[in-house]
Amino acid sequence: MPVSENKGYREFRRGFWAEGVPFIWISGITVLLLIGMIAGLIGIIVASGAGNFWPANVAKLTLKDGSYLLGPVTDREEEGAAARTQVKIANRDVFGLDFKWVDDSEIVKTEYPADAAVIERMEYGHLQGFILSFKEGDTVTPATSAGFFDMVAAKHRQVSEAREEMKSVQERITHERRSLTEIEIAMRKLSSGPASDLPETKVRLDEMQKQFDAKSETLAASLQGPERELERLEALAACCEVEVAISDGSTKTVPLMNAVDIYRPNGMGPFSKAAYYAGKAVSFLVDWPRESNTEGGVYPAIFGTVMMVFLMVIICTPLGVMTALYMHEYAKPGPALSAVRMAVNNLAGVPSIVFGIFGLGFFVYFVGGGLDALFFADKLPEPTFGTGGILWASLTLALLTVPVVVVSTLEGLAAVPRANREGSLALGASKFQTIWNVVLPNAMPGILTGVILAISRAAGEVAPLMITGVVKLVSELPVDASWPFFHLDRKFMHLGFHIYDVGFQSPNVEAAKPMVYTTTGLLLLIVVALNLVAIVLRNKLRNKYRGSAL
Amino acid sequence: MEQTVVNELDAVAVHVRNLDFYYGQVQALFGINMNIKPRQVTAFIGPSGCGKSTLLRCFNRMNEVLLGTRIAGDILIHGSDIYREGTRLESLRKRVGMVFQKSNPFPMTIFENIAFGPRMRGLREKAQLEGIVERSLKQADLWQEVKDRLNRSALDLSGGQQQRLCIARALANEPEIILMDEPASALDPISTAKIEETIQELRTNYTIVIVTHNLQQAARCSDYTAFFYLGKLVEMDATAKIFQTPTQKRTEDYISGKFG
Ligand SMILES: Nc1ncnc2c1ncn2[C@@H]1O[C@H](COP(=O)(O)OP(=O)(O)OP(=O)(O)O)[C@@H](O)[C@H]1O
Ligand SMILES: [Mg+2]
Repeated sequence: MPVSENKGYREFRRGFWAEGVPFIWISGITVLLLIGMIAGLIGIIVASGAGNFWPANVAKLTLKDGSYLLGPVTDREEEGAAARTQVKIANRDVFGLDFKWVDDSEIVKTEYPADAAVIERMEYGHLQGFILSFKEGDTVTPATSAGFFDMVAAKHRQVSEAREEMKSVQERITHERRSLTEIEIAMRKLSSGPASDLPETKVRLDEMQKQFDAKSETLAASLQGPERELERLEALAACCEVEVAISDGSTKTVPLMNAVDIYRPNGMGPFSKAAYYAGKAVSFLVDWPRESNTEGGVYPAIFGTVMMVFLMVIICTPLGVMTALYMHEYAKPGPALSAVRMAVNNLAGVPSIVFGIFGLGFFVYFVGGGLDALFFADKLPEPTFGTGGILWASLTLALLTVPVVVVSTLEGLAAVPRANREGSLALGASKFQTIWNVVLPNAMPGILTGVILAISRAAGEVAPLMITGVVKLVSELPVDASWPFFHLDRKFMHLGFHIYDVGFQSPNVEAAKPMVYTTTGLLLLIVVALNLVAIVLRNKLRNKYRGSAL
Repeated sequence: MEQTVVNELDAVAVHVRNLDFYYGQVQALFGINMNIKPRQVTAFIGPSGCGKSTLLRCFNRMNEVLLGTRIAGDILIHGSDIYREGTRLESLRKRVGMVFQKSNPFPMTIFENIAFGPRMRGLREKAQLEGIVERSLKQADLWQEVKDRLNRSALDLSGGQQQRLCIARALANEPEIILMDEPASALDPISTAKIEETIQELRTNYTIVIVTHNLQQAARCSDYTAFFYLGKLVEMDATAKIFQTPTQKRTEDYISGKFG
């Protein structure tokens, strides 16, 4: 018996090493580690960011000295017997700080009063307190009167609508005035230019002045309507205020126009909270940022990120594919080609900031400056293309990602079955026809793999963008309704930079933290979505070419 | 006088003279001389690695796809030297079609596969292309099986159908000569029989050169047989003669299965 046992063990040991069991274990563990790290990262982002829009209950903590704190409990720390609680007391304009730590031993009573209200303002963040009254002109309605909060909500809706309408009327007026502004600028340039003393310039100036006067007269007439409308809306928007008692005992008056939202979280059921959450999430996606980016939405950053990635793909794909085609199909194999191959591979490892600096020097200053001197000389010294913009940023990123596309395309080309090429050549197709009709379609999955990798790399890149066109805040998108619709010279916002800006450059980093997580989650989502598009496309093509490598 | 010249050219489809072929430093063909008769089926037989495919691929200059190959000697197809400078490869390969050992349909529809050659030569008109596709598929005995699914992927066809598709694709170019490199070696007996049938139908109009390892196949469907050994042409004659009374000892040994 012991002999056979011994033999069994020996066989087990031989099998253990010969079949590489430990190796399989180790590789399995590394995979597990990797998955764990990714899941952990995503978990942290989701856990910290997803709750950002949830209307947290507002606690009223009565302290020993009789005063109280009002706000959602955001954190707790326990050190032995001593425990402390963090409260988001908000009311930044009054208290200065958004958060406050308080020792649990100080707290006498914790309650969640149903009438504790949160007002999200256009400025200074949340105001938390108890609404006392509503004032419209001289009429004051106390909060105790029946149907008070419904009335406030209805009024608030009205005011918000008026505010939106004001914006569009304002835009219309500015738009109408633009032709006038243009004449004004031209006149100023003429009168300050080198030919300002010549008599014909004087004549021309007079003419323009007349033109200007006539135009401004007609404009004044035609704009009378809108301007009156604007006044009416302004009055409507400024009609009302609410008075709020806050925890330091004072009262604060908030014009209704400045309120983004008024709600009482403690009284809200899960459904109304969910509805509020959904509304906030949508406005995060479609609104512009407020309060140095820490509040509001990230729409322009989403737009900028996606548009930049698209531009980058449009530029780097043909560039990479053509390079790879030449290298694989036309260039003679030899030391020169090997050198180019090595250079391409190493290019992928150059730090992105180096590409950024190159982009700044070459695209922005050299190419952009040249374009300005040639085509936009009348606007100088104000640069048009000679400054950072979405085109230059996309070009810079395209340079950064082109090696990836080249390498994947090369692999795709190498995987095209020789039988297919020879089949095409044997039918009398020329080399170019063979490449175009047989080789390229066959290599498409490889090309798309390159595009997928390029998107992943480009969408997360921030450093080179900071010096080639990304800014903290823009007033216009790179695409809009004004001629020529695509404004590739414009600066743009980017989610990656937005994260950096909100997380590290905002005046109130602590309060902005959830926003950083939410934005990070969104950026991840967008990268995944962009990739999914390319992956679906690739799988479609793969299906089409399945079996071609029989 | 003119008549005799035409007749002479007519009597030889492919004329090979002192052909040497090298893959880099390695010589694969040694001093090949042969005449291939038009509108006949000529079979190339010989042990593996003896250079059958290499010679076949010289006839449509497919070897040039590979780097570092070199050729010496002449090949005349219907009297014109195909290695003369200025020969257009595209028109040569249109005249000399090829079917490969492994079927290689393109990942496109059946219709597009057949129309590929004519399209590459600039034919765009739909009706004309449809006519060509139908005619070629009928010639390759495939029409009945695929006429209802011309717009489906060619990769969905069976192996035998794919090979006939490749024959039809070559026929769509209206070639003078069709080169087949072991066209049935990867197929089952029924598909093989079908291909052989197709060859029988094509022999009246086309010059066919077929490489095969299947001696019965060579005996069944060829008019002439050429036996190669180690890069040299050992013997070439009417098939019946080669199989019954070969003049060379090696041929006899190979045919009777003593080696190979
Ligand atoms: N691409 C190549 N590079 C180098 N040598 C080659 C190449 N193709 C073929 N050869 C060599 O040339 C010789 C003839 O090859 P070929 O393919 O013509 O033989 P074959 O008669 O067709 O053989 P099989 O019956 O196995 O197909 C062989 O020795 C082979 O090793
Ligand atoms: Mg062969």
